[in-house]
Amino acid sequence: MEPELAIALPAAGAILTVFLKASPRLALLLGSIAGALAVAAIVVAAPGVASDQLGVMLSISAMSRALLLAAAGALGLVVAFAPSGAGRVALLTWGLAGFAGMAAIAAAPSLDIVIVLTLGIALLHAALAGRRSLAARLRAPALAVALVGAGLLFARAEGPPMLARFAAVGLAAGLVAVLGLLPYIHEFDPEEVTAASPIAWLAFLGPILGVVIVTRARDLVPTAAAAFGAVLIGLGLLNILWGSLASWLTEKGTSAWHYSFMADWGLVLCAFGIQVSDGQAAAVLILFGLLLNRLPLYLWSRRSMRESIQTDRPINLLAAAMLAGSAPFAGFAARILLLRGATQLYWPLALVIGVGLLLWLPPSLRLGRSLGAPHGRQAVGVGIALAAGAAIGLYPQPILSLAGL
Amino acid sequence: MTAVTAIAAFFAWAGAAAIVLADGRRGLAVGVGLVALGFTALTWADGAWLKGAFLLAGGALCAIELLRRGAQDWGLMPPGSTPRLILASVGAILALWFAASLTTGPDAPLRFACVAVLGLAAGRVLQGNAGASVLSASAALAIALASASALAPSDPGFAPYLIGGVIAGGASLLPVAEPSGA
Amino acid sequence: MPSIALIAPVAIILATAGAVALCGVAGWKIDRVVLAVGAWAAILVLIALWVPVRSTQELNAGQLGFGPFDLRLDGVSLLFALAIMVPSAVLLTMQQRSWQEGTVAVLGLAAAVLAVESGGMLLTALAGGAAATLAVILLDVEDPRSPRPPWGMLLAAWLALSWVGAILQVRGGTAVYSAVPVSALTVPVFMLLAAAALMASGLFPWRGWASQLWGRPSLRAAGVAVATLYPLGFYLLVRGYEVGDGHYPQFWLQAVLAAIGVLVAFGAAARAQAAVTRRGYLGEVIPGLGGFALVGISLGTPLGLVAGLATLAVAAVFAGCIPLLPDRAGTASLVVIAAAAGLPPGIAFGVRVVGLEATFEAGNLLGLIGVAGAATWIITIIGAARAIGLPGGRGHPVSETAPRTALGLAAVTVIAGPMLGLLLAAVALPALGDVMQVPAGVSIANATSVVTVSTVLPAFALFTPVLLLALAAYIAAGPPPVKALARPALFTLPGTQFFARARESVRTAAIPAQYRSLLDLRALEAAATGGGPLLWLAALVALAFAVTR
Repeated sequence: MEPELAIALPAAGAILTVFLKASPRLALLLGSIAGALAVAAIVVAAPGVASDQLGVMLSISAMSRALLLAAAGALGLVVAFAPSGAGRVALLTWGLAGFAGMAAIAAAPSLDIVIVLTLGIALLHAALAGRRSLAARLRAPALAVALVGAGLLFARAEGPPMLARFAAVGLAAGLVAVLGLLPYIHEFDPEEVTAASPIAWLAFLGPILGVVIVTRARDLVPTAAAAFGAVLIGLGLLNILWGSLASWLTEKGTSAWHYSFMADWGLVLCAFGIQVSDGQAAAVLILFGLLLNRLPLYLWSRRSMRESIQTDRPINLLAAAMLAGSAPFAGFAARILLLRGATQLYWPLALVIGVGLLLWLPPSLRLGRSLGAPHGRQAVGVGIALAAGAAIGLYPQPILSLAGL
Repeated sequence: MTAVTAIAAFFAWAGAAAIVLADGRRGLAVGVGLVALGFTALTWADGAWLKGAFLLAGGALCAIELLRRGAQDWGLMPPGSTPRLILASVGAILALWFAASLTTGPDAPLRFACVAVLGLAAGRVLQGNAGASVLSASAALAIALASASALAPSDPGFAPYLIGGVIAGGASLLPVAEPSGA
Repeated sequence: MPSIALIAPVAIILATAGAVALCGVAGWKIDRVVLAVGAWAAILVLIALWVPVRSTQELNAGQLGFGPFDLRLDGVSLLFALAIMVPSAVLLTMQQRSWQEGTVAVLGLAAAVLAVESGGMLLTALAGGAAATLAVILLDVEDPRSPRPPWGMLLAAWLALSWVGAILQVRGGTAVYSAVPVSALTVPVFMLLAAAALMASGLFPWRGWASQLWGRPSLRAAGVAVATLYPLGFYLLVRGYEVGDGHYPQFWLQAVLAAIGVLVAFGAAARAQAAVTRRGYLGEVIPGLGGFALVGISLGTPLGLVAGLATLAVAAVFAGCIPLLPDRAGTASLVVIAAAAGLPPGIAFGVRVVGLEATFEAGNLLGLIGVAGAATWIITIIGAARAIGLPGGRGHPVSETAPRTALGLAAVTVIAGPMLGLLLAAVALPALGDVMQVPAGVSIANATSVVTVSTVLPAFALFTPVLLLALAAYIAAGPPPVKALARPALFTLPGTQFFARARESVRTAAIPAQYRSLLDLRALEAAATGGGPLLWLAALVALAFAVTR
């Protein structure tokens, strides 16, 4: 019953908050309760054990479960410590809706259902009021869904062995397209509200999608696992380079954040492509950092970016250190695992990744300054994000155990 | 492969081609309807009546909404649509080559229909700007993806078809938000 | 004592950080007392852990996720922990600082101590990286506009070390210092380790962060940063002996590192003798001693290692002493300069003598390095003589100076000179035994003398009369009438202007105007993010083509 509840409760919570918009406190309370109950259902759910209450075998893997909990934590952080004047009810509504979608994707029994659900989420996301047209917002996710679908077709068809490799390309390219990474970057308007922007794909929906597609793809195309890994690594390196340089050199602050997410995803793709347990562990830690650190900091920095405020206080430097993957934060532990995994596979790859990691620092300093001078509730939130990052960085074993690694 | 499945596959391609070539809501409605009919027939040919019903219902709802709202014009092959025509034709040829020559196995019509509709619908989303055409293509995508689950080695159950049908039907109900930016 | 007690020094320092933060937030003005108590208590606990046992103690507390949580207290970690903690404790006790600075400083101290107490390379990398991050933040908190270590270089150093640890785990199955198979430490791996060490401590012939920091208006953060970060690179090189079973993978690596060491020392000496203020001279003391320490550590002989470690210990004392010195002439300044320059009979003199002796005994190319080291020392002494008469410098706040404490520390290094043998026996020999095979029967040092391969240096017998004579001469001469005035440098290094110009031209390089349109970043960004279907399809085709190869 737990997977069903994990999907239904946040969906119900999102609907409730919409209807109770006129009473924000009640909406927040009921939405939070629904979200908390969903988290409880996820915590209680035994990883990998199927539930068949609705005639569909739903089960949540250990890795997906861990990321769902991280996403819930991120949502809680962002809503609880939203800057004054921010629409907390709207944040909670879209967060819960997105969370329900993520839970459904995590629990889906097959990749077919995953991509159909992804298409549905893409349509709902594209219909949100925003600065870009519906067509612009739907383009990349629809292509992604088509590519993954084509990959599935190639993987299942009986034919020459090359089909498995094309299937691998379809699955990898589809993953990159749905996330909005290079070369399938989603059109980005820096002024657009976050829920309607590509950041929602990169930083909230993306982690679960990434884990689900990668883990299922390996079972689908076992003979083309090397090709799949190679494509992921190649695209990952491309995004590391592009993301870090663009984040450093671009003019707009919000664009810099957008590219920084891409750079982190470049590391994740490399980690997934390495296909040893250290790679998976590195990917999980980076995704945790994305959800619990980078996403909340981005949301908290939007106001100061609009007001062009840049400060150089200790908290900005600590944020920069965390974003750059410096010790003792989670990014450093992830980098150790990534380098170890890359060394096991092919040591020159570790050298290239290692050099690429140095590019994180200049843009991180910029992003840290763009946080401005958080105060009140927001400062507490930043403190919690920093503390969580440090705790995971110093002792990542509980997170890895939770993810089944 | 029976004549029914072959015709059904052809209908699916024709519907996708219509979606690619039409700008007007009537043309798009016909396209979505043909896609839904084609895949429903393919699904029923396998004895999966409930699954087919989901697809038919979703496609029908989408087509009806397209016909009910907005300007009722066909917009078939407007000026400058030669590339689209080429896309539809080449898509058919490639899909046929994939289904009948490159791959083997009994589900050739379904493979042809899926590849054709996936490719053409994705192409339409990539090059389209109007909300109606993009949503129609998305509906076709949903139907094709749901049907493609039948090619899995194990029975996918009714879930993909139900979800695909809901998405296809719901796509046309979505409000097309005009961009608020400059 | 249960092995869990090994965590006590780090835990006490962390608790101190928490207490300081609490005092600061609550508005209690006792944070300096808390800092002092905590820092010295941690030192006492460390000594209390070591003294009863005087051999290696280990704690393995399970897996962290990327490696084991493995603590180790042996001679090496004791020496380095004391070299980090003692100067830091002195500075935290004597200097007034805000509670925010105090908290960050103590956290950095905890990280540095954890780095040298860890039993494996990955935990060292994590803790050392954290210490570096916190040091940079501390320096920026105090004054964001003043020079600080290049964060990128420090990050690169600790990332490089983490990669070394990862390679050792992959090739050798473990990165624990005492368990790594010797065959895992190949030449490329060691070169990476050495590069990490040199970058971590800024051991370069040119003016690195260890000397640039002394030019800051305030020396509160600079002193703590140097005290916590500077020894870490040397620590890695010493542990390299343990991993390599007493030697580096090949002799030429030792020669190259020793050569780098003498170049570091020479660079510091050359800059010191050309300094225009006394502060500028004193800024080269630590790098100069660091260069000699690197020479000693790199030799690969027991005597060399002992000399290098002892030189590091002396550098640690001066790291605690120099930030407390006011920028004005006086007895304190005179004694510090003389002690640091290595005038007899101070310990700085003794360790340099032993270090140079070690290079000559090592022979071959290393003997030449010894000759260069001797010449460097002479320049250092000439620079010291010149520096006594230089103007003080811009001056730093009086509240962070303690001239008597600085004088006391420097005087201790001079007075303790006759006890060179005891110092080496008590502090450096246990560390030597942990990382190198020592020939049985003959001890390198005892309470009164230092035993080398070719001779015996009766330190106590030789230095004591010199000390008494020096004291008598000082008392007889009275307060030194020093007049500060600008003095010309002894020499200018050829090529310094050229290198400075070259670096400036690289820094200000820009694409020529006629080629800028080829690299229009804005257009590139627009093309990549424009959502073009053609680009997407082309990428897909490229990927499909790539997998068919």
